[in-house]
Amino acid sequence: MLIQILNGLVYGGLLYVLAVGLVLIFGLRRVVNFAHGSLFMIGAYVGYTVTAVAGFWAGLIASVCVLTAIGAALDRFVFRPLQDEDPIVTMLVTFGLLLVLEDAARTIWGKEFLTVQPPAILSGVVHLAGTSFPVYRLAVIGAAILVAGGLSLWLRFSRVGLYVRASSVDPLTTGMQGVDTDRLSAMVVAIGAGLAGLSGTISAPLVALSPSMGGSILIDSFVVVVTGGLGSFTGAFIAAMVIGQLHNLGVVFVPAAASMIPLVLMVLVLIWRPGGLVKAGA
Amino acid sequence: MTYPALEGIGLTRRFGGFIALDSVSIALRPGEIRGLIGPNGAGKSTLMDVLSGRTGKSASGRVSLFGHDITELPARQRRRAGLARSFQKTNIFPDLTVAAQIGLASRAAETNNAAEVIDAMELSALAGQRAADISYGDQRRVDVALALVGRPRVLLLDEPAAGLSMAESLNLALLLRDLAARWQVTVLIVEHDMEVIFSICSHLTVLHLGRILASGPPEEVRAMPEVITAYLGSSAA
Amino acid sequence: MIRIAVFLIAGAAGALLPNLFGSPLLLTLLTQAVISAILATGVGFLVRQNGLVSFGHAGFFGLGAYIVALSATNAWMPIGATLVVAILAPTVLALLLGAAMLRLGGVAFSMLTLAVAQAFYELALRWRSLANGDDGIAAQLPDRILGLDISVFQQAGSMFVVCWIVLVLVLFGLSVLIASPFGTLTLAIRENEERARFIGYGTIVPRAAIYALSAAIAALAGVLFALYNGFVTPNVLYWGLSGEALVMAVVGGTRAVWGPALGALLFFLLKNAAGDLTDHWPAIIGGTLIVVTVLLPRGASGTIAMLMQRMGVRTA
Repeated sequence: MLIQILNGLVYGGLLYVLAVGLVLIFGLRRVVNFAHGSLFMIGAYVGYTVTAVAGFWAGLIASVCVLTAIGAALDRFVFRPLQDEDPIVTMLVTFGLLLVLEDAARTIWGKEFLTVQPPAILSGVVHLAGTSFPVYRLAVIGAAILVAGGLSLWLRFSRVGLYVRASSVDPLTTGMQGVDTDRLSAMVVAIGAGLAGLSGTISAPLVALSPSMGGSILIDSFVVVVTGGLGSFTGAFIAAMVIGQLHNLGVVFVPAAASMIPLVLMVLVLIWRPGGLVKAGA
Repeated sequence: MTYPALEGIGLTRRFGGFIALDSVSIALRPGEIRGLIGPNGAGKSTLMDVLSGRTGKSASGRVSLFGHDITELPARQRRRAGLARSFQKTNIFPDLTVAAQIGLASRAAETNNAAEVIDAMELSALAGQRAADISYGDQRRVDVALALVGRPRVLLLDEPAAGLSMAESLNLALLLRDLAARWQVTVLIVEHDMEVIFSICSHLTVLHLGRILASGPPEEVRAMPEVITAYLGSSAA
Repeated sequence: MIRIAVFLIAGAAGALLPNLFGSPLLLTLLTQAVISAILATGVGFLVRQNGLVSFGHAGFFGLGAYIVALSATNAWMPIGATLVVAILAPTVLALLLGAAMLRLGGVAFSMLTLAVAQAFYELALRWRSLANGDDGIAAQLPDRILGLDISVFQQAGSMFVVCWIVLVLVLFGLSVLIASPFGTLTLAIRENEERARFIGYGTIVPRAAIYALSAAIAALAGVLFALYNGFVTPNVLYWGLSGEALVMAVVGGTRAVWGPALGALLFFLLKNAAGDLTDHWPAIIGGTLIVVTVLLPRGASGTIAMLMQRMGVRTA
């Protein structure tokens, strides 16, 4: 039982790190990045390539750096030029990007499944309550806690974090307060993409890498973001934890229909609270 | 006893720490045309929103229509019960023709007086045109026409003459006064143009900082010192 | 009256096409194009009438196709009932989902359309005992369907005519609906949902009804696909197909009901021309989607209408 809960925390943690990037980008740009799962996938592949040459830690750092740069470019060349258009336009463009990136990954890394070994220091198992559990998975939970804690401190106490939260509630006021929204947004999209890269790389030793690996986690992170209340950080955290647990139980007990469980939960939440769990900005 | 046409009791609406509407009570006599005035930010539009059901559950207090409590009804059911409104910021269907949108409103009201309203609002010549293609003044009249369809029992008009020339405003005001009398509509009208207000209203209510400052016949209200200081004073000075 | 005449001529003209083109390869391609045109019509109609973009219409298409294949192979129901259920089940699903999701606004709605379709894709992939995973199902269709021999549905020459007539009927039905009071109401809700409520209309049910109708059209296309190919794989549920349908709708333009169908035709011409490049087909679709969205927001039909207007021709 404990093992199941821990495995749920692992998935929930990865999901949160990915979903929070979507929340950040939505807060500032009022759009949803459909290519976010592709960033996760590219993060995993960059981690794979660099790990093979220079080891896991170099792979992790390289992946976060590359994805942060991609994020900055994404804001500069997609979100900013399209900011006055209907959000539908940006969604269509990022969806087009998703298809292009998936194909690009297939061309570069091939269709075959690839694997990444966890770093030596985190290999092996620990003994917990009579069973064993991989150290690496515990480390993933730790990393997710660090990201969640760091982000909430940043959002709560830094100037930039304050603007980000204000903008999630009302983008107009932030603009009026004389904040350089373009710089702020480039930074935030870069961070969001960097987190997707982080999430992709740390999940690489847990799963088989394939060009379509971003698909199912993107869907779950969409469900997390909407269920939590579009634009809400706390809501995304709660929803990620709940869906992490449900996903894991689903995979164990009803593997065939596991993908349906988050959706059912979401529909129930939306019937109960049409706006999602928590109000935006909180 | 006869019930007020529209009655609000203890209406309160907060935005965070700011109280836009502070326990306002108002009652309209059937058939009257009541003017609602006050400086910018006094809470006039908020009161219209609370009465018409635009604010949802975020306001407190009770609203009743001819003695029936409609507090829990959403906007569309209030409209079906006979409470219609127009909007300060033109709120129409730009891509539909004038006739199509008024016809649509007429079907919702389950009446057949679209033609009557188009005629009364002097829109006949424009009936076949897209609303986006007609002049601003005509769009304002379409906005009011959408509220007038089905001969509502109570009509809330939020600055119907906003942005119109003086002649257009007065023309619209007199048109509305005649229609209200002919169709026995009770009207609550927010308007900045005092000429419009004094030419059609039998009763005035003054809002200031979310509270009712004064209420009474136009001449009395105009003479009240607190009204002059709070409202008229600023423009008279 | 004029409308009926236009559609009658269109129907007859299409039915004559197979006699003009002898090439079986071209006919196969055209049949696929018409099935895709029906799917794209569903996607485009949702945009036109609801102002919403679905990134998951492959879900309804694939569901329709899978229900036909599964029910025929496992003999769940007679084929007539199967066809009805294959169209109705996705429709009802869309109605219920729409009622829950449409309260959220366009952005969240679009995200969830993708999520729902992808969940069905995963379901088809993982539930091997039912759907045979990645390998898909070869449907064991009966010899006669709706009184017609199965070969009518599986040979390009005749199936093209069947699909063409279905497409023309769908377009005719939609053009009637657009001109009806319900069409005016849904257009009004798309334009200004708040004012629609203030003139006394509920807005969720009409929007959900449009969503359900567009899902029904997608499912209809999926049913035709399953009958024609006799074979379904999870790819019919994949977001790549949703993307294709979107590209067709965007390329064709959604302002005219027939825009997306035109887009589908252009799409297949492009695909045919792409030749060896089809190894990178997803990237081409994605790239086209980006370019057309940004540079040609009106799509082909909108551009044609604009040009005709400039030349002084009035269009309906």
